Amino acid sequence: MMSDLILVVPELILVGMSLVLLLAARRIQGTRVAAFGTVLAAVAAVLGSSWVLSLGAKTGFGGIITLDNYTQFFNVLIAATLALATLLSVKSLEGIPRAEYHALLLLAATGMMIAVSAFDLLVLYLGLELMTLCSYILVGIRVDNPTSNEAALKYFLLGSFASALLIYGISLTYGVTGTTSFATIASTLSGHEAGSNVLLLVAMGLVAAGLAFKIAAVPLHSWAPDAYQGASAPIAAFLAAGSKAVGLAALGRVCLAAYHSEAQALSVVLTGLAGLSIIVGSVIALSQTDMKRMLAYSSISHAGYALLGLIAGTSEGVSAMMTYVFFYVFMTLGTFGIVVALGDRGESVEGYRGLAAQRPGTAMLMLVFLMSLTGIPPTAGFAAKFVVILSVVRGGHIGLAILAVACSVVSAFFYMRVAVNMYMNEAQEPAPSHFPKAVFAALAVAALVTLIGGITPGSLALWAVSP
Amino acid sequence: MNEYIGIAVSFILAGGITALMVGLSSTLGKKHPTSTKLAAFECGKDPFSLPVGRFAIKFYMVGILFILFDVELVFLYPWAVVYGALGFSGLVEIGVFLGILMVGFIYAWDAGALNWK
Repeated sequence: MMSDLILVVPELILVGMSLVLLLAARRIQGTRVAAFGTVLAAVAAVLGSSWVLSLGAKTGFGGIITLDNYTQFFNVLIAATLALATLLSVKSLEGIPRAEYHALLLLAATGMMIAVSAFDLLVLYLGLELMTLCSYILVGIRVDNPTSNEAALKYFLLGSFASALLIYGISLTYGVTGTTSFATIASTLSGHEAGSNVLLLVAMGLVAAGLAFKIAAVPLHSWAPDAYQGASAPIAAFLAAGSKAVGLAALGRVCLAAYHSEAQALSVVLTGLAGLSIIVGSVIALSQTDMKRMLAYSSISHAGYALLGLIAGTSEGVSAMMTYVFFYVFMTLGTFGIVVALGDRGESVEGYRGLAAQRPGTAMLMLVFLMSLTGIPPTAGFAAKFVVILSVVRGGHIGLAILAVACSVVSAFFYMRVAVNMYMNEAQEPAPSHFPKAVFAALAVAALVTLIGGITPGSLALWAVSP
Repeated sequence: MNEYIGIAVSFILAGGITALMVGLSSTLGKKHPTSTKLAAFECGKDPFSLPVGRFAIKFYMVGILFILFDVELVFLYPWAVVYGALGFSGLVEIGVFLGILMVGFIYAWDAGALNWK
């Protein structure tokens, strides 16, 4: 029992810090102690996780929790999301109870880490629920802001519905196989003829739908634009990066470890989700004027691109998805970081007019992130899109690959509209004030990963190993 | 299967007779509706009314806290039943659980949720 506890060291660190913050809540409200503690906990969680992994990958708690390279990859990604979102939050915390805000961020990250280390459908559900319950509150934490409240309520209603889909899929899987453990599901299903059990197909469809909600893939995407617009920009970044990474990690694990013998049927579902997300996300983003809404639709299309890696159902495909998610997280956090840094002005696409003349450095950073989101070399976005599209081509889905490239061109229109506003239009608003060092640090990390990833795309390949 | 036929027959009879009587009276019967007749009858009381009276918001806070801690404490019952089998590690685990519960309690206290003013 005690030796199993070592597997959840990163989770324990995050939970411990959140409890400390809650206990000290009244004492540290006006200070930056909470933000500092959160970043510290994120770093400690990564170190703890690496230390445990260096003792050897293994499963524990009766086979429901596993810590392998796959878990570690996403633990690092989640901790990075937590730390960067915390740094970005420094600017926009007026009127928000700081200790509670950071405690919720920590608990949401804990849920994410549980979800990526789960080796049992129920533990996966538990982790995802912890993540989403905290996210609902974080979206609505600006209590005096009606848009924020509305967003939280919509997110909560749709989220509960999606959770119901997921748990129903889990119960049907239990009905077919008599277990919720990934390993036992796989061994039970290997005896069946693929595609022969209709109930199992329904179960897989429901599980895929429940997870598709977390990554905001079409047709389960409708919460994302409202939630991102209503939430403060750091929280939108946290959701766009974290929730998506975790949903994809869970999908990858479920596809490979549990339902692998039904890969044929799953790939049909995933092809539909990916194709629709890419098209709908890219096309609707064209008509957005609110920056966070535009980024929400852009994140929907990115979810589609990441899903491309999972279609083949091979470990190479899953590695491609991991690479995509890794770079996606940093470029998204970076873009939202610029939105945070510019304050009210950053919220609308028009607000970027003439930024290059007023703040050349900020405009340059934004350009890097926008190029990366579009997928233009030498940024990480290009490397990421390249690997997932390559995996689709290898899987024989040429049509889907062409669609992905075409929609990538479409997406250039709305990303570059911001760039055009920055560089080719006259400013109509006064220059934005300088932003805090914490925001700058977060932007620097995101930009560094985006650029290094673009120059040496192979650097991640050794690390992004599927389970 | 045979023993269910009697139940089926009684269902059909009951359903059929009810449908027949309600159907006949609603198609053949004369209708002279007045507003009093159309009102729902419930022991002479007005069936619809706005919730009357106001109560202090502080009851709401106490209610929320009560439900929170009450639901979490229900966990103690199954623990108590199997305590003998769990031994010392069971005691440690419930200690951790109650500790986390206490953090929530202290937070609520600290935040002034228990102040009756």
